[in-house]
Amino acid sequence: MSGHTVGLKAWLWQRISAVYLALFFVYLLVQFYLYPFTEYSAWHEWIARPLVGTAFAGFILALLVHLWVGLRDIVLDYIHPLGLRLAVMITIAFILIGSGFWSMQVLILAGRAT
Amino acid sequence: MERLRLALRLKRWYKSVSCIKHYMSKQQPAPVYLNLFRIRFPVGAVTSIAHRVSGVLLFLALPFFVYLLDLSLRGPDGFAAVIDWFDVRLVRLGSIIIAWSLLHHLFSGVRFLFIDLEAGVQLSQARITAWLVNIAALAATLVYAWCVL
Repeated sequence: MSGHTVGLKAWLWQRISAVYLALFFVYLLVQFYLYPFTEYSAWHEWIARPLVGTAFAGFILALLVHLWVGLRDIVLDYIHPLGLRLAVMITIAFILIGSGFWSMQVLILAGRAT
Repeated sequence: MERLRLALRLKRWYKSVSCIKHYMSKQQPAPVYLNLFRIRFPVGAVTSIAHRVSGVLLFLALPFFVYLLDLSLRGPDGFAAVIDWFDVRLVRLGSIIIAWSLLHHLFSGVRFLFIDLEAGVQLSQARITAWLVNIAALAATLVYAWCVL
């Protein structure tokens, strides 16, 4: 990508992740509405299925991408002092990466336990 | 063919943005109308800013959600603890805010995607869908609140 299209990639990533997030979120709503999990064993069995676990991991990745692009847009609009902007961006990155590793670990452990 | 059309659409979109940027750089420094207390809000702006606010709220809730996911998968005790969390009145009230954020972000996000595809760009249509999004999100949140309170 040349200088002409700065921001276009981020814009596109935000839309792609948005579509996946919306579809998976609606799937989750339908799933939880039709089959509410009232017991640990059923909940664990469901999330340990390879397909569900993989789709869930994809959801988390899409969520992180989407959050990063969206929050960066907001920070660039409202936070102008460069030092503060950098500090906020680093904090956001830290929280996103931390949440990402944490949730991936949870998913992998859940998949392994069966 | 489809890809080409998408690329053309993106190019057109980018061109319109760069034209505005070019115009503003020639004429005067870009006007910054971002002070939330000084600008008047047409309905589309309400939808747009609510999209941002709900997005930030969801971001702030993310670590808590990951914690709940972790706890719920630690074993039967953890799962029961998550269910117990929901018995706390304050958590139920907080979950209403999260529900609104999710619903509004989803509805307005779908609207933005359609607008990107040049559907509903016309001002009159855009205003109607903006009203629809705002009201539908509030209505669905009320239904949720009625269910959990």
